[in-house]
Amino acid sequence: MTLNFKVTLSNRCINLWLLLIVLFVFSCTLPPKTETEIVIQSDTNLPEQTFENEEYVMVTTAVSMPMYMNRDQRSFLRWGKARNVKVSILGPADWDVPAQINAIEEVIGTRPTGLLINGTDPAIAQVINKAVAAGIPTVVYDSNIPNANHHAFLGTDWYEIGKMQGEEMVKLINGKGKIGYMGILGMSNMEAGFRGLLDVLKKYPKIEVVGKFDSKASVEEAARISADLISAHPDLAGICGFDGPSGPGISLAVKEAGKSGKIKITTVDGEPEHLQLVREGTIQLLAAQKRELFTWYGAQFLYDMAHKTNSLSANDKGAGITSIPYHVNTGLLRITKENVDLFIK
Amino acid sequence: MQQLRLEHISKSFPGVKALDDINIEVKPGEVHALCGENGAGKSTLMNILSGDLRPDEGTIIINGEPVSFDNPKEAFEKSIATVHQHLSLIDNLSVAENIFANQHPVNRLGLIHYRKMYQQTADVLSELKINIAPTMLVSALSPAQKQMVEIAKALARKPQLLILDEPTASLTDKEIKVLFHIIRYLKQQDVSILYISHRLSEIFELADRVSILKDGKYEGTFQKAALTTQQLIKRMVGRDLIDLKPSSAKQSTILLEVKNLSGEKFKNINFKLHRGEIVGLAGLVGAGRTELARAIFGADKVERGEIKVNNEVLLSSHPAKAIEKGIAYLTEDRTHLGLFLQMSVQDNIVSANLKSARKGNFYSHAKAKELAEESKTKLRIATPSVGTKAQNLSGGNQQKVVLAKWLQTHPEILIVDEPTHGIDVGAKFEIYGLLKELATSGKGILMISSDLPELLGICDRILVLNKGTVSGELLHADATEEKIMALASH
Amino acid sequence: MIKRIVQDRIYLLIVLLMVVSIITGIIFPTTFPTFTNFSQIFLNVSIDTIVAVGMMLLLISGVFDLSVGSVVAFVACLVAYFMQEANIPVPLAILLAIASALLIGLVNGYLIAYKEINPMIQTLAMMGIVRGAALMISVAGAQNLPYHFNIIGQSKLLGVQMPVWYMLLTVLVFSFLMTRTIFFRRYYYIGGNEKAAELSGIHVKKMKMIAFVISAGLAGVAGILISSRLGAALPTLGRGLELRVITAVILGGASLSGGFGKIPGALLGALFMGIIANIMVIARVSGYWQEIILGIILIFTLWLDKALLKKYSKL
Repeated sequence: MTLNFKVTLSNRCINLWLLLIVLFVFSCTLPPKTETEIVIQSDTNLPEQTFENEEYVMVTTAVSMPMYMNRDQRSFLRWGKARNVKVSILGPADWDVPAQINAIEEVIGTRPTGLLINGTDPAIAQVINKAVAAGIPTVVYDSNIPNANHHAFLGTDWYEIGKMQGEEMVKLINGKGKIGYMGILGMSNMEAGFRGLLDVLKKYPKIEVVGKFDSKASVEEAARISADLISAHPDLAGICGFDGPSGPGISLAVKEAGKSGKIKITTVDGEPEHLQLVREGTIQLLAAQKRELFTWYGAQFLYDMAHKTNSLSANDKGAGITSIPYHVNTGLLRITKENVDLFIK
Repeated sequence: MQQLRLEHISKSFPGVKALDDINIEVKPGEVHALCGENGAGKSTLMNILSGDLRPDEGTIIINGEPVSFDNPKEAFEKSIATVHQHLSLIDNLSVAENIFANQHPVNRLGLIHYRKMYQQTADVLSELKINIAPTMLVSALSPAQKQMVEIAKALARKPQLLILDEPTASLTDKEIKVLFHIIRYLKQQDVSILYISHRLSEIFELADRVSILKDGKYEGTFQKAALTTQQLIKRMVGRDLIDLKPSSAKQSTILLEVKNLSGEKFKNINFKLHRGEIVGLAGLVGAGRTELARAIFGADKVERGEIKVNNEVLLSSHPAKAIEKGIAYLTEDRTHLGLFLQMSVQDNIVSANLKSARKGNFYSHAKAKELAEESKTKLRIATPSVGTKAQNLSGGNQQKVVLAKWLQTHPEILIVDEPTHGIDVGAKFEIYGLLKELATSGKGILMISSDLPELLGICDRILVLNKGTVSGELLHADATEEKIMALASH
Repeated sequence: MIKRIVQDRIYLLIVLLMVVSIITGIIFPTTFPTFTNFSQIFLNVSIDTIVAVGMMLLLISGVFDLSVGSVVAFVACLVAYFMQEANIPVPLAILLAIASALLIGLVNGYLIAYKEINPMIQTLAMMGIVRGAALMISVAGAQNLPYHFNIIGQSKLLGVQMPVWYMLLTVLVFSFLMTRTIFFRRYYYIGGNEKAAELSGIHVKKMKMIAFVISAGLAGVAGILISSRLGAALPTLGRGLELRVITAVILGGASLSGGFGKIPGALLGALFMGIIANIMVIARVSGYWQEIILGIILIFTLWLDKALLKKYSKL
């Protein structure tokens, strides 16, 4: 393979090709189409929505995350079957916010009937607005995104999660002792949770908060941090976790230190591994989200909006009226040893 | 009864017929030398015998029976052992583990019996009078020692036919003596030896008979006694090679002056190099010659002393500086240090002076090609095109490419380190011619070489390095191989 | 003709891209071959491509940099910090942020070229350090970056968003530099045989260090572009970027051992990956298939390279 002579020739050719590709791209126009195209370009004066390609698309930030798979996605698929409509799930395999944004942008071009977006990072606000501007019913679930004008949001109030954990922990340690907490740093919903926790704890002068840690969404990391905490503070009273992997991680460290049940643990999520740990008595409280409701009702809202199930005026769309609820707090599940068996399948 | 016989062996590769109807027989207990230029087919023949290649036509007959090998394993099951030019040892294992690779003595449980292995290795080594401990790691051995282990490895299998390909290329005189002793010993055991070498003096010392290959064809087998060096060379290259007459082109201007130069492996070196002069630098392996050259060139640190080029002091911190001042250095190991094997001949030729390949302010492929074509013609480099990858050229032509590369930098001083190492006879003489031409045109050449006839042939003076210091200087008229050896090794 | 396509990775990629695009255009005529979609694809690969150009330079030289993803995040968070917390005017903030990226590249380059630390280990360590620094500057991520900053990544020229133009500019500039300047041409020699390059008068250490500075600088530019495009600086940006970019660059013709590769290859490799991702979305294929398919494509391309090269090369 020659590097030399061909390079000059192919370099000119490369530039030529690049130019051609770019021109090709630019010269590409939308071929004359059906009414669905007109829907994209203007929001008012819309003709009736056709449902020949009715499809609801969910875009999440991490398709392969077990919790998302078992709860959000399963529920969404179940809804699709029950309603007998097509549903699709898109997004990067592992946590990647920019990739989620890219996916949403690309999906907008395919004009789905409704878009169900897993709210993760405020940065997706812009692309949500793009979807809304394109006339696609858009619902966000899980974490609310500020500065975005999606049609509805379903989720948990993370501040409440922190508050629930705080109040329980206070009870568990009798109002005094050292507490550490952890979550994925850099996420605004977690920060809200932290504030909920701290707002409760600061009312108790005998409780000392020894640290805030980044569990980096990893069980090993959570275990490591907890183990270090326990060695540094042999009289540690409790640990609070705010992301899924924290539960198993903290439990592991506590068990290995032989302090299962003595160091109190409150955390989030109600996956099988968490439930098991509650059963064993290692974790005292799980503040679980009702994730199945996010996507079932989220999808239902999309459907109702698209099908104009509840018209509030003569021309909702024309008047910019949204005929679905705006903000839904799906509430929290409070799982303790008393009721844990109900959740174990 | 013949031990080995090759009948009508032919082998072709796309575009070239490497072997054309070769007929050779090797008798038991005979040292049979195989001579030929690079490209004559020696390696191909060797690879067929060692099982790495299969002939397109012809038969191999061992002890009267036709055989064929599908792979090297089958070859050595037939008692043929080969010592290749490129080592096959594994650096991070011990000598013993290398010699017994795949043949470890095992105990009842099937696990390697280390003690037995070391013992057997020690036996093999002492039988061959090789002084290396079986437990030593191969990575700790010198190239010469590695070659000896390679030979021991081949012999551990007690072969009936031993093929040696340029075995003395990395050996010092001491080991060469040991090798010759081994070969004589094997002769007594009726083992046949096929000895491939460029070193004609060795061939005349060891061989019983000599077979010659030229351009893939068989030129005949001769009794050593009936052959002179001249005749041998003539049959190999088909032309009378002119004896190098020492016509000196030395001028009085001093190009390079080295004063009290000391570095890691050399101390207090003093010498001068004049325009038009070819100064040889002789010495044993490890005497410090390459280190001296690298220091002058700026590739290694200088501890003390001064280098002056055209009476200007050179503070050489990097080869780029030396090149700027007109010094060129053709390294000893051209494949790893001098060439860019994956790149084309053209790219190699401009590599030391990319600025010369400019048109206006920018690099131009057309210009580089032009320069390469010029060099190709001037130095008679044999290559299908200047776009061919350097690794596809023969050793001699690769060296010409290296020379072309350095000539592109328009040097005044050329330091050449073992310039004809591993190059066939014909190309060697071409390179001598080129060097003489350069000297005549006013360049100064410092030639490091272990090939004494070569030094005696073209150098005006020979400096001898011994353990890092200059032990003597010989003018062309007075120099002899014995004197050089004496100065190099006392 | 076939020989040329096969031997030159650039041609092979162009042909593959055309073939894939045409086939996909036939299967999904309403959604794939549209201006919106194509410009979206280009926009989505623009950030990766800019980093890939730097990575291609490094791979040509025989090294690589695992810290680029972290640099993207760090520069984004730093510029956000400068603009929002330190109230530094936008242009100055950008300059300072990119300067910090160049500094990171300098440290990497110095330690790798002069102190001879293994590039993988050095850049892996730097990856962690810089990511940590990004997290520290910006705990939850900065939102609502100033309008004058956002216009960098959000404004459009001829209907195409700016990052695409910056990407094309970067590719053109570096393509020119690598083929037509003496200085950059030397990188091929460094990648081909470092020792021989040094002995041919090339300042290998200095040039390697510069390469790392360039790579980090480009990552910095990518960081500015992505945060201005999003209007937000997330400390989680660029996670996994380095492996994606290395894959794109290898698809584009680089060899892990150095000495090979052309800058346009970085663009084509990234584009190829972008089109595959796009097809997945349009065809509603779930996320994990994407990674599997990309892996298969990488292996296929490398196999194609070896197999056909053997068939068509002279001995």
